[in-house]
Amino acid sequence: MKISSKLILFFCGVVALFVLLAFALLAQTRTVSAGYDALLSQQVRQAEAARVVQVGFKKQVQEWKDILLRGHTPADLARYTGQFHDEETQVRSGATVLAAAVRDPACRELLDQFLVAHRTMGEKYQAAYEAYVGNNFDFKLADRMVRGQDRAPTDLFDQVVRRLNDDVTASVAAQERAVQHARNLALALSGGLLFGLGLVGFVTVSNILRRLGRLKAVSDRLARADIEGLSVDISGPDEIGQFGNSMKGVHAAIEELTRLASDAGHA
Amino acid sequence: MAAKLSEFYKQAAQEFGLAGRIKLAMLTKISSEKAANADDSPENIRIFEQALQQLRSGA
Repeated sequence: MKISSKLILFFCGVVALFVLLAFALLAQTRTVSAGYDALLSQQVRQAEAARVVQVGFKKQVQEWKDILLRGHTPADLARYTGQFHDEETQVRSGATVLAAAVRDPACRELLDQFLVAHRTMGEKYQAAYEAYVGNNFDFKLADRMVRGQDRAPTDLFDQVVRRLNDDVTASVAAQERAVQHARNLALALSGGLLFGLGLVGFVTVSNILRRLGRLKAVSDRLARADIEGLSVDISGPDEIGQFGNSMKGVHAAIEELTRLASDAGHA
Repeated sequence: MAAKLSEFYKQAAQEFGLAGRIKLAMLTKISSEKAANADDSPENIRIFEQALQQLRSGA
């Protein structure tokens, strides 16, 4: 193969390698991006929704306390009762949506239990509310009726939030491991390919330089007309081989010329 | 001994003089001294015939 063809092939190889690496890097970036997108669109969003429901539930309980403390005036009673029911509705709908969305069966079971406990608590709060209003705003009576009733749903939902947060943490760790694995693979592959290409380049250039050195030695001897015992053993299909072949012709011509001169001298 | 190859050198000298011999050596890459010791192989004869043809065509 000609040197020019070797150099073109080597150049094409380098370009192809870098294009390949660029595509591999792009594909890897897309995979990582897709992984994090999935994480954000599912687990992180669900954990965030769970925290919203958790805060809503605490606000609902706080609204109940506001009813008991300030419900003796009609305006405050209407205001805090309305806010209590708004929070109750939002908590229930939020937990229902979340229960339909989560993939973890244990988490879904906890949410179902929470919804049952929340509904039961709501019924008891409603009974206490009616006793509170019917007994001249006797907050002590109403408080006794529902004391500790928020504990069970609170505990259940705390478990839901904890499980979803743990799920997010585990998914992030898995994603980081996948990214690290892909990075190591990319580094090993690109390093190996670059090493292989460098080795091929080094062998090719060394071979060319070695043959060029031999050609120069022959050329130097021909330039000095030092042809005694000279052998031009440079061959091959490439440019150096062709040059070596031409040198053989020059060598033979000088030998012939030398012989003719010698014959003429003897005549 | 390569009698046929040596004949090519004599032929070149007759037709083109000393320059013909030197050109023949350059084209065949075999000097007359080496040609005298080389084999009259079909390959060598073909090379010398082609070279002599080139000389005749003025290449």
